[in-house]
Amino acid sequence: MSEQNHLKVRIVTAASLFDGHDAAINIMRRILQSKGAEIIHLGHNRSVHEIVECAIEEDAHGIAITSYQGGHVEFFKYMKDLLDKSGCGHIKIFGGGGGTILPAEIEELHQYGISRIYSPDDGRKMGLEGMIQDVIDQCKIPAVNWRSTPYFKASEKWDTGNPLQETKDIRRIARAITLAEMEESFTDILQNITGAKKTSPPVVLGFTGTGGAGKSSVTDEVVRRFLNAYEDRTIAVVSVDPSKKKTGGALLGDRIRMNSISHPRAYMRSMATREDNSALSGYVKDALEICKVVGFDLVILESAGVGQSDASILDYCDVSMYVMTPEYGAPSQLEKINMLDYADVICINKFDKAGALDALHDIRKQYKRNHLLFSAKDEELPIVGTIAAQFNDAGINELFERLMEKIKEKTGVLMGDPIMHHTHTKDTSSKSQIIPPKRVRYLSEITETIQEYDQWANEQSALATKLYQLHGAIEILNSGETQA
Amino acid sequence: MSSEKNAQKQATPEAGILRTAYRQIKAQLHPDVKKLMEQWSQLQDRYAADNYEFKVRDKTIKQPLTYKSLSGTYVRKVVLPKYKDWGDIVKWQLQENVPGEFPFTAGVFPLKREGEDPTRMFAGEGGPERTNKRFHYVSLGQPAKRLSTAFDSVTLYGEDPDHRPDIYGKVGNSGVSIATVDDAKKLYSGFDLCDAKTSVSMTINGPAPILLAFFMNAAIDQQCEKYIMEHGLADEVNKKIEAKYALSELPKYMGTDGKLIIPQKGALTGGLPEGNNGLGLRLLGLSGKDVLPAEIYQQIRAHAMATVRGTVQADILKEDQAQNTCIFSTEFALKLMGDVQQYFIEHKVQNFYSVSISGYHIAEAGANPVTQLAFTLANGFTYVEYYLSRGMHIDDFAPNLSFFFSNGMDPEYSVIGRVARRIWAKAMKYKYKANERSQKLKYHIQTSGRSLHAQEIDFNDIRTTLQALYAIYDNCNSLHTNAYDEAITTPTEESVRRAMAIQLIINRELGTAKNENPNQGSFLIEELTDLVEEAVLSEFNRISERGGVLGAMERMYQRNKIQEESLLYEHMKHTGELPLVGVNTFLNKQGSPTILPAEVIRSTRDEKEAQINALQAFQKRHKNQCKEKLKRLQEVALRNENIFEELMETVQYCSLGQITNALYAVGGKYRRNM
Repeated sequence: MSEQNHLKVRIVTAASLFDGHDAAINIMRRILQSKGAEIIHLGHNRSVHEIVECAIEEDAHGIAITSYQGGHVEFFKYMKDLLDKSGCGHIKIFGGGGGTILPAEIEELHQYGISRIYSPDDGRKMGLEGMIQDVIDQCKIPAVNWRSTPYFKASEKWDTGNPLQETKDIRRIARAITLAEMEESFTDILQNITGAKKTSPPVVLGFTGTGGAGKSSVTDEVVRRFLNAYEDRTIAVVSVDPSKKKTGGALLGDRIRMNSISHPRAYMRSMATREDNSALSGYVKDALEICKVVGFDLVILESAGVGQSDASILDYCDVSMYVMTPEYGAPSQLEKINMLDYADVICINKFDKAGALDALHDIRKQYKRNHLLFSAKDEELPIVGTIAAQFNDAGINELFERLMEKIKEKTGVLMGDPIMHHTHTKDTSSKSQIIPPKRVRYLSEITETIQEYDQWANEQSALATKLYQLHGAIEILNSGETQA
Repeated sequence: MSSEKNAQKQATPEAGILRTAYRQIKAQLHPDVKKLMEQWSQLQDRYAADNYEFKVRDKTIKQPLTYKSLSGTYVRKVVLPKYKDWGDIVKWQLQENVPGEFPFTAGVFPLKREGEDPTRMFAGEGGPERTNKRFHYVSLGQPAKRLSTAFDSVTLYGEDPDHRPDIYGKVGNSGVSIATVDDAKKLYSGFDLCDAKTSVSMTINGPAPILLAFFMNAAIDQQCEKYIMEHGLADEVNKKIEAKYALSELPKYMGTDGKLIIPQKGALTGGLPEGNNGLGLRLLGLSGKDVLPAEIYQQIRAHAMATVRGTVQADILKEDQAQNTCIFSTEFALKLMGDVQQYFIEHKVQNFYSVSISGYHIAEAGANPVTQLAFTLANGFTYVEYYLSRGMHIDDFAPNLSFFFSNGMDPEYSVIGRVARRIWAKAMKYKYKANERSQKLKYHIQTSGRSLHAQEIDFNDIRTTLQALYAIYDNCNSLHTNAYDEAITTPTEESVRRAMAIQLIINRELGTAKNENPNQGSFLIEELTDLVEEAVLSEFNRISERGGVLGAMERMYQRNKIQEESLLYEHMKHTGELPLVGVNTFLNKQGSPTILPAEVIRSTRDEKEAQINALQAFQKRHKNQCKEKLKRLQEVALRNENIFEELMETVQYCSLGQITNALYAVGGKYRRNM
């Protein structure tokens, strides 16, 4: 077992439901990460169900919540209840809410089994760093006798039904991946797992692309369409983010963008690359294998590329997609992107950006060169412009259909109703352009208008001063004073 | 200027040359500037008079121009500069001018409204009945009813109250729980929403269009109720109500004596709060259109729309940048805002602000005053560009826009209104060719909550007083002063009363506040105005380089900048470089510890249960129509028609949570960012 890995603390961070105050939790998650923890950050306004589901799926050691909007007693107790009910009472709960949580309430919550609510006084006494260190110390699994910690012993009681009305036992799936990361055997935990019945062989879909291309949003939109389109199919997402070499911590931030993942038929696991320096952690293969064994119909592997030459995702998936934006620089840059040789589907996201159509043209040209398809029709190429930020985007609809089509073509698996052969009709376009492209300089125009006005006012004022002076001079001349 | 003619009397050779130069230069003057120069002495005469007459819409208003102090000194409301140099006079008129004249630096109206302090009465706690009682308590005896509504976080995020514990705990806390149109009717009952002296502000953003539809329906139904009473139709209407609902099903207002208030034979039974005459309660559970002929209803509705006065915050850009109460995808949220504005234009809603473009939350999140002002104005211009792109005319919507700023202690806060008004006016007049009404930027000020501290909380009122003075000297159109205990708890009646006294003391007791342009002519104020204006324009350019406000938001530019400025403040507070009395300096013998609240006002179990019961009863009453109405709403959205127009109908049958969830399916949920 890798000593370093089994000690890795995993914490889910979020702000309470109907609570937009995210400044404090953002500071906390940064410090947690700098102390070597892996952080699954959910952001603000998250329900207890979403948080608990996330913590179980991620096999987290702890949950850290800020609550500034009141209702904290009910919120934290409900979280504890839901964890206990799910057989996951080993997941520790930490919280804070400045002066909004009264000392008596803190006492009440501690009595109830909340690990720690930090008060402003704690903040002054322990300091920010001290509080965070306390969270980490309480979550840490010792290197010796780790099997007898509550965290690991919890699985002994996971025999009754699936938690949270999920279609699969997400606890066992999550724990199996944890054991894989520890280089421990995970076959036992998967014995007799419920809901593993398979209707078709599992398919792995790999998404890769450059940072900032909107991969998570695209993934979320694909998951949403999958869950809506196939009402008895299940889906898992394995998302990989890099570990910080310096601290060993990682910010696993893909979940914050996901709106559709909290679903009984969906599972998501965020993984850090850990000591590996590659885009994909060595344990990813195990994680994918686990998702397949437990019978997910579709497994999406989402990974950030580590550079233009990175195509390592291909070793893991049946069908691959490369996500990019129109902003890649000169067309010659395209020649360096390996995935343009290998990806089954290419997604040009943020297609509402300037130069999108040029990008589509260039990428098609490059694709044809790479694949020696000089006579292929443009619209038949698997290259789709999308605007994931736009609701029900036509481009994403096409992308989804093409992906399902590709899966059928390459693996023979048909997820649902036969897919109509999709012909590319027209490129997606922003339906409601809030600011028309030709007006996008409006603020500069306003600045120029005002500066012109100010200059004009100064000029007019200077003229008026001259007139005033001339007027005075003429009056003096006329009064005859100069002849004296 | 008038003495000009004398200069042309007699000729010497030198005078001839000078006169030629004079004519040549004069020819270069812009006709507008010539006019300003010619009319200067008239302007001086106008302000030297005892009274000032001016027109607001069609009314001529006459107001005294002086105030006589106890010592017999006459303090003029507006004092003009005593400049001699025509250049100085021209410059002053082009960049400052008297209040009510372009570029409106000193104010958008010639004089302040008489008989109406710019005070808003703030309330929001528990259920609608408790907040209604509170509104009546704080406005009792005040000629103008300026109500400001805080909603609980369940409502702010567009959900219905529920027994689920993570929702239950927040019902009716830090704001009032409003889930249905009947809740809104109870909340504002006893205030005539179409009276010229009533003005309601609602702090709601994500689900703003739905709450606004609640409010508008409440306003219309109040007018229907008045019609019913005036025409002796009460018995008839009661019969219709009784035919429709059994007594147990009828929505009720819980009276102050704990007894339910129901209409019986045209009268209302039960204990109403002092000041509440029951207006708005007779049609609970019904719309005026259910009981009145269609034609009459249409007339009443048109009249109500044209007269109802107030503000809905509805500023979704600042939510994404600073406050996070976004529920719909930003694009869909903007479309909804545009629909509201379109509806306002079509139904001639002219006394209601469709948005309060807010810097307050940007400042509360940590932005400095320059950033607050720049981001907020930039957001305002973004709405302008969006509405223009939808084909609306600038002068049809600009008067429906209002602004909302925070006033803290920094020097820039002394000129925030001056700079905002000046930039807005110049851009509206010259960039957007807007008319004079559109050029006038009106804004509300709330003193800074962030500047209040949990140590030595007594000192907070001093901070609030100084901030209020900034605001009043700067001629704000509306003002809210924070209570000193807000840093630690929900304000009490006692602390709110003190906060209101701050404004009243400045307005009624402070001698210099009898003058309405005290900032004009101060070298410091003039210089700060120029510096802040310049800094704001530089920030505009930085946002523009990032693709405008929306482009910058995508890169989280605003969020990051606000965060950096917040950290700088915290750092300087921590090191003491930024002195804060009773916080990091001038500590008392005990070291000025943090004050903990003795008790916190929370909604009671009974109130929460009452809200959930009322909601369930509402949903039960309308269960036959609800599904169909939601489907219609979704179809309207998918056809890209006016969603607000449909919401005005939908809210009569569906609750807040039902509506938001139906809209998520056609407009998309908000996607969080990091």
